[in-house]
Amino acid sequence: MNPKIQVFKHVLVLALFLSFQNIKAQSDPSGEKRVTGTIAFKNATITTSPGKTIPNSTVLIKNGLIEAIGTNITIPKEAQVILADSLFIYPGFIDGASSAGVGKFADPEKPANFNPANPPDEMAGITPWRNVIDVFDNKNNQINDWRKSGFTIAQLIPDGGMISGKTAVVVFGNQSSTNILSQNSALSVKFQGARGSSRVYPGTPLGVMAKFRDVYKNTELASRHSKLFASNSGLNRPEINKTYEALYPVVDKNIPVLFEVSDDIEIRRALSLQKENGFRLVLLGGSNFEKVINEIKSSNAQVLLSLKLPDDKVTKAKMEELSEEMQARTKRIQEAYQSQLKQASYLESAGIPFGFTSSGSKSGDTFKNLRLMVENGLSENAALAALTINTATILGIQKYAGTLEKGKLANMIILTAPLLDEETQIKHVVADGYIFDYEVKAKKNGNGDKNGNNGAMAIDGFWEYTSDTPAGSSSGTLEIKKEGDSFKGTITYDNPGGSGKASSEMKNITLSGSNLSFSFDVAAGGMSLVVNVSGEVNGDRLTGNLSLSEYGSFPMNATKKPKSF
Amino acid sequence: MKKIIYIIAAAMVMGWNPANSQTQKGSVLIKNATVLTVTKGTLEDTDVLVENGIIKKIGKGLTSSNITTIDAKGKYLMPGIIDAHSHVALDAVNEGTAPITSEVRMADVIDPYDIGLYRALAGGVTVSHAMHGSANAIGGQNITLKHRYGSGNPDDLIMKDAARTIKFALGENPTRVHGRGNGIQPRSRMGVEAVIRNGFNEAIQYKKSWEDYNNALKVKGATPVPPKFSERLQTLSEILDGKIIIHCHSYRADEIYMLINVCREFGITNIVFSHVNEGFKVAPELAAYTMGASVFADWWAYKFEVYYSTAYNAAILTQNGVITSINSDSGELIRHLYHEAGKAQRYGELTDEQTLALITINPAKQLGIADKVGSIEEGKQADLVIFNDHPLSVYAIPQMTFVDGVKYFDINEDPNDMRLRVSATESIEPIFLKEHDHKCMHGVDFFFTNFGRSLFDHEH
Repeated sequence: MNPKIQVFKHVLVLALFLSFQNIKAQSDPSGEKRVTGTIAFKNATITTSPGKTIPNSTVLIKNGLIEAIGTNITIPKEAQVILADSLFIYPGFIDGASSAGVGKFADPEKPANFNPANPPDEMAGITPWRNVIDVFDNKNNQINDWRKSGFTIAQLIPDGGMISGKTAVVVFGNQSSTNILSQNSALSVKFQGARGSSRVYPGTPLGVMAKFRDVYKNTELASRHSKLFASNSGLNRPEINKTYEALYPVVDKNIPVLFEVSDDIEIRRALSLQKENGFRLVLLGGSNFEKVINEIKSSNAQVLLSLKLPDDKVTKAKMEELSEEMQARTKRIQEAYQSQLKQASYLESAGIPFGFTSSGSKSGDTFKNLRLMVENGLSENAALAALTINTATILGIQKYAGTLEKGKLANMIILTAPLLDEETQIKHVVADGYIFDYEVKAKKNGNGDKNGNNGAMAIDGFWEYTSDTPAGSSSGTLEIKKEGDSFKGTITYDNPGGSGKASSEMKNITLSGSNLSFSFDVAAGGMSLVVNVSGEVNGDRLTGNLSLSEYGSFPMNATKKPKSF
Repeated sequence: MKKIIYIIAAAMVMGWNPANSQTQKGSVLIKNATVLTVTKGTLEDTDVLVENGIIKKIGKGLTSSNITTIDAKGKYLMPGIIDAHSHVALDAVNEGTAPITSEVRMADVIDPYDIGLYRALAGGVTVSHAMHGSANAIGGQNITLKHRYGSGNPDDLIMKDAARTIKFALGENPTRVHGRGNGIQPRSRMGVEAVIRNGFNEAIQYKKSWEDYNNALKVKGATPVPPKFSERLQTLSEILDGKIIIHCHSYRADEIYMLINVCREFGITNIVFSHVNEGFKVAPELAAYTMGASVFADWWAYKFEVYYSTAYNAAILTQNGVITSINSDSGELIRHLYHEAGKAQRYGELTDEQTLALITINPAKQLGIADKVGSIEEGKQADLVIFNDHPLSVYAIPQMTFVDGVKYFDINEDPNDMRLRVSATESIEPIFLKEHDHKCMHGVDFFFTNFGRSLFDHEH
C-alpha cells in the first residue's frame, strides 16, 4: 500500500474518532464543543415572529446564523439533524436588563481630605465611564440559569450608584467567546444616593434629582467648551473631566438613558428629567403603569417591564375568618395584586411597545409569570414580542436578533409544547448557534398526583446535602416532617457569622410532582437573606439549585439518609 | 435649512409642553352661614357663591341654577386653613449632606398618595407649605401645595401661582449635622452665619460670570467659554434678586437678629422666620425688617435652644405688628391648627379676627399668596371650610373642606379607608418611626424629642 494512503487512512480514522467523541459530547449541557456548525431542526412548528407560525417546517443554522427556514429546505450533508416533529421553536428570549454574571466594581478608597458634602464623583455613585464588560464573568452560573429559561441575549447593567456606567449586550453562547454584541449601549441611571452612606452627597432622591441636572447641564457646557477650543485660538483649555466625557454620547443622544424606576412616582420623576434635558429614555422596571400611560406616550419613552410579579399572599385568603375591617383591607390588597398582574396588559392596550427584563425576577419563575400575565389580559403575541423583537428594537439589535429569519443570529428555543402551555418544557436552547440540551421530564402521572398517593414522593426524612458556591463547597442537612397535607422542616448550613453550623426553618415547602422547592432565611452581616431552593427528587436523591437572588445560584445535591443519632 | 430649524424648534416647544394636567375646579353655593371672612369681618346668615373655583359673590339671598347648594344654617364658614410650615406629602425631607443645598427642590419629591393630605383636609387645612428639613444652613426650595387629594399626579397638588420659597436653618440642627456629625463647617452659630455669607458672596460672583458670558455672546463672532452651571448658586442669586422668600428655622433671638442683619446687608427683605420661640425678644425688629414669624402655640423644650419659650409669643408678636402665623410642622398638629390658634387667644387675649388670621391670611402673606387665598373675599380662590361651631371653640369640628370649590372632605361621607394606594401583598403596612431619614434625629437626640410627635413627620 502507498504509505501516503496509509497516513491518510490514519488521519481519517482519527478524524472519525474525534467526531465520534464530539457526538458523545453533544449532550453536554455546557455546549462547549460541537460537531458541526450546521444544524437542522426538522419538521417542527416554528414561530418565526409574534403571530407568524409555520407548521412542519425546518430551520437550518450555519455557523451561528440562520441559513434557511421553511417547509422545503435542502439539508446539507454535514448538517447535524435534529428531528423536531413534535417540538415548537421560537426566537430566543432577549433580556432587556440583566445582572447575570455581572460582578461589582471595587469601591474606591476614601481620600484623606474627604468631604461628604462634596465627594469625588466615584464616591457619589457617579461613574459613567465604567463599562459593565469589565466585571462580566462569562462563566457565571447565573447565565446557565437564565439560558435554561429561554434567554439567549441580555443587556447587562453595571452595578453601582445613581449613574453607574454603561451597559453592554451579550449573547449567552459558548464560553470560549467574549459573546459581546455591543458595548456602551446605554447609560444606567437610578434614584440612588451615594453608596455606602446616606451622609454623603447626594443622600436622598432630592439630591439625586439635583445632582443629575447638575451633571447633565455641565456636560452640555463642557461639550460646548471642547468644541470651541478645537476650532478657535485664544481660548482657555477645557478642564478634562472623565464624568462629562463619558456622558457626551448621552447628551448627543447617541445612546439612551436606562432609568431604573420602581413605581409611577419615580416614572414621573424620570420623565420630568427627560423633559427638562431631552435625553433618550428607557424606563427599567416600574409599576402602576396605568397611572402614567399618557405621560409615557407623550414622552416617547420606551419601557422594559420586569418579569417579577408580587407574591400572591391574598387571593386565597379565608375571608370569612377575618374581621370586617380586615376583609375590607384584604379586598383592597387583592385588587392591588390583580392590578400588578395586569401591568403588561395595560401597556399593550395603550399601544406602548415594551420589552421584558429579568431585573428583580427569578429565572425559574419566567414561564409561570408569563402565563399569569397572559391570564390577566396580555395577548400571547405581545408576550412573545416583549420577550423578543420589542426588546431587540429597544436595544437597537433588531437587524440581527429578535426574530427567526434568514441572516439573523441563530438564537432560538425549542419547546415540547406551545410557549404558554402549562406543560411546556425547554428541550434545547440555541444561543449564538450553539445547542444547549436540557432534560425533559416525563409527563406527570396525573392520577397518582390527584390522589396524593401513588405519585407522591416520600420526601420526609433526613437528608445530607452539599452545594458548590464560589466561596467553596458547603454542606448541611435537611430534616423534613410531614404534617397532614403539608411539610415542616429545618435546614442546617455553614454558619456565615463564624464557625460551625447554623439552622433555619424551611419555609413554603412545596412538592409538585417530583419538584421540591422551599426557602429559608439566613442572617448574615446584619441583614436577612432569603435563599430559595428548588430541585428534582429522584428516589433518595435531590438535584437542584440553591439561589440567593442577588448573588447567583449554585448547584445543590442531597441524599436521603436513615437518621442516626 | 431654515425650514428644518423651524420644525425642530416647533418639536422642541411641543416637547417642553408639560402634560397638561387639568386642575379640577368646582362650583357650589353655600347658604345661610356665619361667614368669618377674616379680612372683612363676620357676616351673619350670608351666602357664598363659588363658580369655577373662584368666590364669585358674597351676600344674602343668592341663587344659582344647576350647582350644588349647601345649607349651612347655624354653621360657620371660614377660609381654608394655611399651614406655613409643614412636611406632609413628601418622600424625602432632608438632603442633609451639605451645608448649602439650595439646588434641591421639594417639588421633585412630592408623594401625592400621602394619607396625611386627607387628614389635613379633615382638619380644615387646604394649603400647606411643604418644606425642606432643618439639617442645612441653607436647605432646599420648598413647594406650596393645595390639598387636592385624590390624584396620583404630584403636579395636581402644586399651587402653581404661589411664590417661590426656600428653607434656611440656624442653630443646633445645622451645627450638629455638619459640624459635629461630619466635622465640617458650620460647627458653631458663627459658622452658620459664615456659611450663609459665603454662599451669598459666591452667588454674586456666579451671577456676574454668567452676565459677562452672555454679554460677550452678543459681540459678533465672539467665542466666549461658558462658565460652569450651578443651580445651587443660581438659586442663591435669585434670593438676592428678591425672587425667592426665605423661610428660616430659628429659635434664639440673637440668631434671628443676626440673620436680619445679614439680610439687610445683602438687601434681602423677603424673609420669614419659623418657630421663632424667642421672637418675642426681637418683635420690633421682626416687624420692621421681615415678612413675619411662624410660630408654635405651646411647643418647646425638646432641645436646649428651645427652653426659653412662652405661650404668649404669638400674641406679643401680633401686638408688635409682626405678621404672625401658627404652623404645624407635624402630621398630627396639622389636624387641629384651629385649636393651636385658640391657645394663642387663650393666653394672649387676641381678638377672634386676629386669632383666625394666624392660620389664614397671615400665613398666606408669608407664602406670597395673600392675593389668592387666606380670606373670604370675592375674586379669591374658593378654599373654604364649614365648621359645626365657631372654629375657635373647643367643640369645633370641621364638617366640609373645599379646595378651588371642589369638596375634598365631608364628615358625613368619610369612608374608613381613604388610602389612594395599597401594597399588593401586605395587609398591615410597616410604620417607621423615622419615616424620613432625618439627620437631626440620630441617636441621643431622639430622646430629647417628644416621642408622640416623632411618630409623624418630625422636622422642627
